Amino acid sequence: MNHDPVAWGRPRDDIYGSYNPSYLPPTRQPYSSHPPSHPTTHTQSPVVTGTSVLALKFSTGVVIAADNLASYGSLARFTDVKRLRPFNRNAIVGFGGDVSDMQYIDRLLLSLVVQENYAGGGESVTLMNARNLHTYLSKVLYKRRTDFNPLWNALLVGGLDEHQKPFLAYADLLGTTYSAPSLATGFGAHLAQPIMRKVVPDEAAAAKLSKEEAVKTIRECMKVLFYRDARSMNEYSLAVVDVRGVELKEDNKLEAESWAFADQIKGYGTQTV
Amino acid sequence: MFRNNYDNDSVTFSPQGRIFQVEYAQEAVKQGSVVVGIVSKTHAVLTALKRQAEELSSYQEKILPIDSHYGLALAGLASDARVLSNFMKQQSLASRLTYDRPILLSDITSRIGDRAQTNTQQYGKRPYGVGLLIAGTDAKGTHLFEFQPSGVTSEMVADAIGARSQMARTYLERHLESFEQCGRDELIRHALRALKDTLGQDRELTVENVSLGVGGVGEDFRVVEGQEVAPFLEGLSENRAESGEGAGGESMEVDS
Amino acid sequence: MTSIGTGYDLSNSVFSPDGRNFQVEYAVKAVENGGTAIGIRCKDGVVLALEKLVTSKLLKPNANKRIATVDRNIGVVNSGLLPDGRHFISRARDEASSWRSTYKAPIPISSLANRMGAYVQAYTLYSSVRPFGITAIVGGWDAETEVSVDGAVGSGPKIGSGGKTPGVKEGGPYLYMIEPSGLYWGYYGAATGKGRQAAKAELEKLKLDPKTHGEGVITLEEGVKEAARIIYVAHEDSKDKDFELEMTWVSAVSGPTKGRHEEVPKALREEAERLAKKALEGEDEEEEGKMEE
Repeated sequence: MNHDPVAWGRPRDDIYGSYNPSYLPPTRQPYSSHPPSHPTTHTQSPVVTGTSVLALKFSTGVVIAADNLASYGSLARFTDVKRLRPFNRNAIVGFGGDVSDMQYIDRLLLSLVVQENYAGGGESVTLMNARNLHTYLSKVLYKRRTDFNPLWNALLVGGLDEHQKPFLAYADLLGTTYSAPSLATGFGAHLAQPIMRKVVPDEAAAAKLSKEEAVKTIRECMKVLFYRDARSMNEYSLAVVDVRGVELKEDNKLEAESWAFADQIKGYGTQTV
Repeated sequence: MFRNNYDNDSVTFSPQGRIFQVEYAQEAVKQGSVVVGIVSKTHAVLTALKRQAEELSSYQEKILPIDSHYGLALAGLASDARVLSNFMKQQSLASRLTYDRPILLSDITSRIGDRAQTNTQQYGKRPYGVGLLIAGTDAKGTHLFEFQPSGVTSEMVADAIGARSQMARTYLERHLESFEQCGRDELIRHALRALKDTLGQDRELTVENVSLGVGGVGEDFRVVEGQEVAPFLEGLSENRAESGEGAGGESMEVDS
Repeated sequence: MTSIGTGYDLSNSVFSPDGRNFQVEYAVKAVENGGTAIGIRCKDGVVLALEKLVTSKLLKPNANKRIATVDRNIGVVNSGLLPDGRHFISRARDEASSWRSTYKAPIPISSLANRMGAYVQAYTLYSSVRPFGITAIVGGWDAETEVSVDGAVGSGPKIGSGGKTPGVKEGGPYLYMIEPSGLYWGYYGAATGKGRQAAKAELEKLKLDPKTHGEGVITLEEGVKEAARIIYVAHEDSKDKDFELEMTWVSAVSGPTKGRHEEVPKALREEAERLAKKALEGEDEEEEGKMEE
């Protein structure tokens, strides 16, 4: 079988003859007069990636966390990468997935902040809230996936809505969006979400949760993720957004790790028994 | 044919630094029937005098709702207003779609201002021949903006543009201090009285020739016409004697 | 203007026999009728101030702001045709944003002045457009601290060469004025509009040139007070008209505005206005005193 991705889904050359590229639309490469040999392709997979982002609503705000690792495949390539990006005093975005696409979106957000300042003149009533930001980001992501040129991220937007109530929502490279009292991207959706759901099974529970409890739960989940997600690390950023603004700390370390469970795990490696 | 050599197009300055084509466009606004706007802390009101082109034709459309939080009143070329209002509707919907929030009135006003400016700096274009009052509410509260063909936009407390609008402005200036605390209906009556002051002696405000636009905090912008206007017209004449002392006595021809 | 009416002044981009572009000169006339605008480059920041004539009682007080921000560290004030001013600002914002998308950092004030000078000049080149009927004053602060690249996620290598020279001081306050011809200069103190002559005379009295005054150059707070006073002085000629004083400032990253261009806080502005009025009254008394002598 021909393993070139370009050949995927194509009629076989040995049966139907080689593909005639002259039927393709003109190449977008500027200085080439040759007919294209391939169709135009965009990102097929992410390159340097961040893993899970976790977030939890509590009575007056949102807690959000992500570790500081950017992996290059399975290589732990960059260990001081800040994946929580504060937008304004109302909102913060946590990014999973491709780091360069995250940087692109971060610059979009910066230009948005600059533009917002033109219109609002720094008045707090006109500040964009977390819901506005999430709507905007989901449109950007959906537009790009519709162009077959996705921004390879899964992200969480946390903060306050137009009534200064906690807001938390998810958006990803497909333009999918959803909202819940607790959310996680990537491996976190499998490993941390069940733990968070025990604490906040529904909105009513989130409305009763204290900030301290929420932070404690998130820290516990970060630890579980470090135990079981091989693309994670033990240094992480954690932010709390409430009416007092964004409180972000980017150099948290996991505490009280216990690897006692490790030798109970079966089914991997070189076990003899 | 021309008054001077400097008024053929909008890309020529006169030796005094004026652009006559733009000034002439402002005249088109004064040909249009009058519209009045006032804001209070809680409400924004537009009123307009509608003309009937012919006996058998309908009355003009003077007030257009643009988005659920605001609308506009026009004086001058209605077709130019249509171009601008379509643009405003698109921009307003784009704001709701992209950010899930109503567009700021200051924002939409400066966008049409910028558009109008382009028409005054490039050959082959002409300035818009319409003036607008844009009124409604947004995150910053209630607002009233004036748009002129030159691209000048200003935020006002109260305003009137169009034929004989000076009479209305005189009324508004006299009651300026009271508007901020006005309730909804009181504000409408003020606007109608200002509108009434622009009429000649033989003309009256009727359910046919009056158009109202009302919006406010917690109240979507809506155009009120026909019989719904009737309650507001009642009792307007009685107040005329009291409020019209100065205005009625002055020349009715003033429309500078 | 002897050549008025000879036909050489009817179209932009046309030279008269004595080498003038009349349409540009007429555009300057539009500026000369506008409210006075000034900019002062102080030791630790820039102040912009504007005399905003109140043309109608119906205007909402303290709304209708005219000094605009470009990016976050630059202010623009202009005098002349208001809509042309908005066009200028809109272009300046586009330039700043396009600079960011190329260089991932804020545009230096000098580069913005250069690009806007080029843009305005282009409107003197073609008969299909008219020149800008404004003179714009552009003031801002280039960050003196190290600015991280937009979108940077980490801190980079902690050791080894980074191409940086330690201890080099960068940035500072900058002020430029751009005329309808596209001509621009850097200034210590700039004034345009109706009262520019009086304003210039006052600006020249201030200690603004670091070459002659060194550390004695006025501070930003002094600048704010002087700016208010100068606008009040410049307004003397059109005393019969009401006006609002609009004033903005931009300081060092370590200063009161943290490197951002912002409106001068209300309390400080009102204090500056109080002092300005007092200074004017003082002058009147002096004059009266002299007459009595």
